[in-house]
Amino acid sequence: MSDESPPALRLKGVRKRFPGANQDAVQALDLAIPRGAIVSLIGPSGCGKTTTLRMINRLIEPTGGRIELEGTDVTDVDATELRRGIGYVIQQVGLFPHRTIGANIGTVPRALGWDKRRIAERTDELVDLVGLERDMLPRYPDQLSGGQQQRVGVARALAADPPVLLMDEPFGAVDPIVRGRLQDELLALQERVHKTIVLVTHDLDEALKLSDRIALLNVGGVLEQFASPDELLRAPASSFVERFIGGGRSMRRLGLTTLAAVTPHRGSVVSVDATPQQARAAMDEFRTDWVGLTDDDDRFLGWVARASVADGVALDTLERHEPAATVTPDDTLATALETIMNSRTLVAVVREGERFLGVVTLEQIHAELGALRDAGDAAA
Amino acid sequence: MGATLAQQAVPRDTGVFEFLLDPDRWTGSTGILASGADSVLLCAAVIVTSIVLAVPAATVLAHGRRLELTSAWVVNIGRAMPTFGVAGLLVPFSLRAGYGFEPWPIFIALTLLTVPPMYLSTYTAIRQVPAGAVDAARAVGYTERDVLLRVELPLALRVIGTGVRVAAVQVVATEPIRAFLGGDGLGRYVRDGLGQNNSNLVIAGAILIGLLAASTGLLFAGLEWLLMPAGVRRLGGARTGRVQSSDATILTTDDGDGEAAGGPPGLHVASEPAEAGASSGGVRGSP
Repeated sequence: MSDESPPALRLKGVRKRFPGANQDAVQALDLAIPRGAIVSLIGPSGCGKTTTLRMINRLIEPTGGRIELEGTDVTDVDATELRRGIGYVIQQVGLFPHRTIGANIGTVPRALGWDKRRIAERTDELVDLVGLERDMLPRYPDQLSGGQQQRVGVARALAADPPVLLMDEPFGAVDPIVRGRLQDELLALQERVHKTIVLVTHDLDEALKLSDRIALLNVGGVLEQFASPDELLRAPASSFVERFIGGGRSMRRLGLTTLAAVTPHRGSVVSVDATPQQARAAMDEFRTDWVGLTDDDDRFLGWVARASVADGVALDTLERHEPAATVTPDDTLATALETIMNSRTLVAVVREGERFLGVVTLEQIHAELGALRDAGDAAA
Repeated sequence: MGATLAQQAVPRDTGVFEFLLDPDRWTGSTGILASGADSVLLCAAVIVTSIVLAVPAATVLAHGRRLELTSAWVVNIGRAMPTFGVAGLLVPFSLRAGYGFEPWPIFIALTLLTVPPMYLSTYTAIRQVPAGAVDAARAVGYTERDVLLRVELPLALRVIGTGVRVAAVQVVATEPIRAFLGGDGLGRYVRDGLGQNNSNLVIAGAILIGLLAASTGLLFAGLEWLLMPAGVRRLGGARTGRVQSSDATILTTDDGDGEAAGGPPGLHVASEPAEAGASSGGVRGSP
């Protein structure tokens, strides 16, 4: 996303008052949503986040203000046409229970009058894209699990390749494990499709994980802060934001930084061909009683205890211990911390596939957190 | 039409089955077949009229979420309406207007009996369509007409069908009162039996009425099955497809889904063969 290009979606002074209400559900909301970004709308109940989302595709008509999609006022376009050009995913999934998975996914293309072959091709493509099996196409929604249904919902929303995708608590109805997986899948999907996604959620962690930018709304649709996840945690714009984020800001920021972004650190690890002296030197340097061994292909072979290292004995003959904690560069610092704590060790091995990349230690995580805090203080 | 006063009394020692199995009783202008046809004709007219009056109106109003209170009100009035009383009340008006005893008073009374439950079940059927499906239909750019015709109506069809069937059976079971209001139909045997103090004749009449009502139920169940699109037919508890997914939670949520799709349990008056088959299938399928 580049700051120069005009936003895909722009809200200008958007206002909504429901009939019979004596207060605005949303009052004068301004928001510019960059092309290709995932933007979350988050806030307490009654903050108008869902109302705002539904005004974008005019499921709710705004009382005032302008909503521009690629520069065009959405109220200038026929609502039916507008909606066919905007993908929409909702919490209850909303699949048509009387239609097969294939027919569900093909809803919009059929409405657009595509021919049968093209619809079938597109359906196959989408099923692959969202990670479902093609043999599910003739089945009915109630024969699928919640997570599978949600994937079908996403496939249906993407069917006509709309540039904008609206998601209303899309993962709210599935269990935490499936939710985490669907979130990862959404991020992987976004890598490929580069949609402009507006997502409503009440789950701060979900917003932090998925979003490029987060719009934190207060009751009445008051925009409290519109910032990147890191900035939101680092520099809350108001006491409301601070309260909303609550405790655990440091932990949450650890959750935003991946190991790939942290300077790799080889730690007390030597080649299996190294001498016992070199192994001891490595342990001394890092003040540990364990040394890790790698082979010529940079595979991590295991840990060796200091007590077993002896002069004149080749390192590869010593008893090795499998690493209790391993992480990948895509894992966050929070995951690394968690893994280390759970393994009752002080260090986790970073591996990408078979390849050894380095180690991450508690001290390192601590130091990173300090660096994050310093950067925050400097910014504030 | 009009009551046939010249009918011969049935001897009191004629047994119930002797009466029913005697071919001569079935033929002729006062025979069982003619009386049955009389009943069927009136009932069909009432059912068709009620469907035309109740179903489209309820569908459109429920789609727009309109007149919700009025709907409840209409139904409650309908429940309190004494059909026999209404018909009896209408007879003098009909006579004065020169329309005779038959068939207007009984036709109107039966229609008034049928419209409220049909209206209610249709209204409920549309309202219980999963909100998510309706919301999603709008969001993918369906017009209101498409939302109604392609999502709400298909998903409500099963419950609407049940409502129509129950109402139809009720009409057939109530129609015989016309025999006490100057008409004929199958009710004549009950009336004549009472008049001739012949309990066997009363019982034979009751059996005939019961058979007609039961056949009506079966007929409508069959029609429902035939007219239902495949995707709809499998909903509402009739789960013919084997659950093939590895995800076992489907089996545990099965009942809940079936309920949601099948509508309020109270509306499932008659149990269908399809449902029984499916539930035993479900038991077989569970681990």
